[in-house]
Amino acid sequence: MWAYALNRITGIGLVVYLYLHLGVLSMLIRGQSAWDAFVALARSPFYLTLDVLLLAGILIHGLNGIRLALTGFGFSVGIQKSLFIILMIIGAIFLGIAALKIFQV
Amino acid sequence: MSENPFAEESKPTVAWLWQVATGIGLVVLLGLHMIANHFIAKGGLRDYAAVVAYLRNPTILVLEILFLVCVTTHALLGVRAIFLDFGLSDRVEQILTRVLKWIGVLTVGYGLVVMWFVIR
Repeated sequence: MWAYALNRITGIGLVVYLYLHLGVLSMLIRGQSAWDAFVALARSPFYLTLDVLLLAGILIHGLNGIRLALTGFGFSVGIQKSLFIILMIIGAIFLGIAALKIFQV
Repeated sequence: MSENPFAEESKPTVAWLWQVATGIGLVVLLGLHMIANHFIAKGGLRDYAAVVAYLRNPTILVLEILFLVCVTTHALLGVRAIFLDFGLSDRVEQILTRVLKWIGVLTVGYGLVVMWFVIR
């Protein structure tokens, strides 16, 4: 139940982010100066922290989604709790590595 | 005999299968998008000149369009599934599905326009 709720919550967050991201991409239409000014802003620690938060949402939603797809097709139904924990540990490790990479820029 | 929870109605089955198919596509396409645009790119983001050069590569352009279609379809099917959890009538469900389809078309159209402005 918690995993299901987590998938819904991260899903809603990612839909909101998708449309914010598409809105930001409109700066590409406004030309080089508008886009490059945004890029300079997006390299600030605040935005990099948001990037890590975004990646956390993607990893939770994506890895949990793999579990949901597997169980939806009847695979690993009996071990889905263990599978969820294993996938979240993999996600946490990947997030830690990615966060270090993001803040190295 | 095990029961198929999706066998009762054909429409949710199709929507769910699309959700899974686009989800699998996203694992690959989003992975490539994140690596190419945020991990390999100097400073974590491409400047304007780099975005233009990147999207003018035909293979990349096709992959980014596929990514746009996949992410939009997956996102809007997800929104639909959340609304369906509230137990909508058939009529409201039909209207919702139609509205979300149009939002999807407009979203992909908008993305294609942005790409066109970048590569022209």
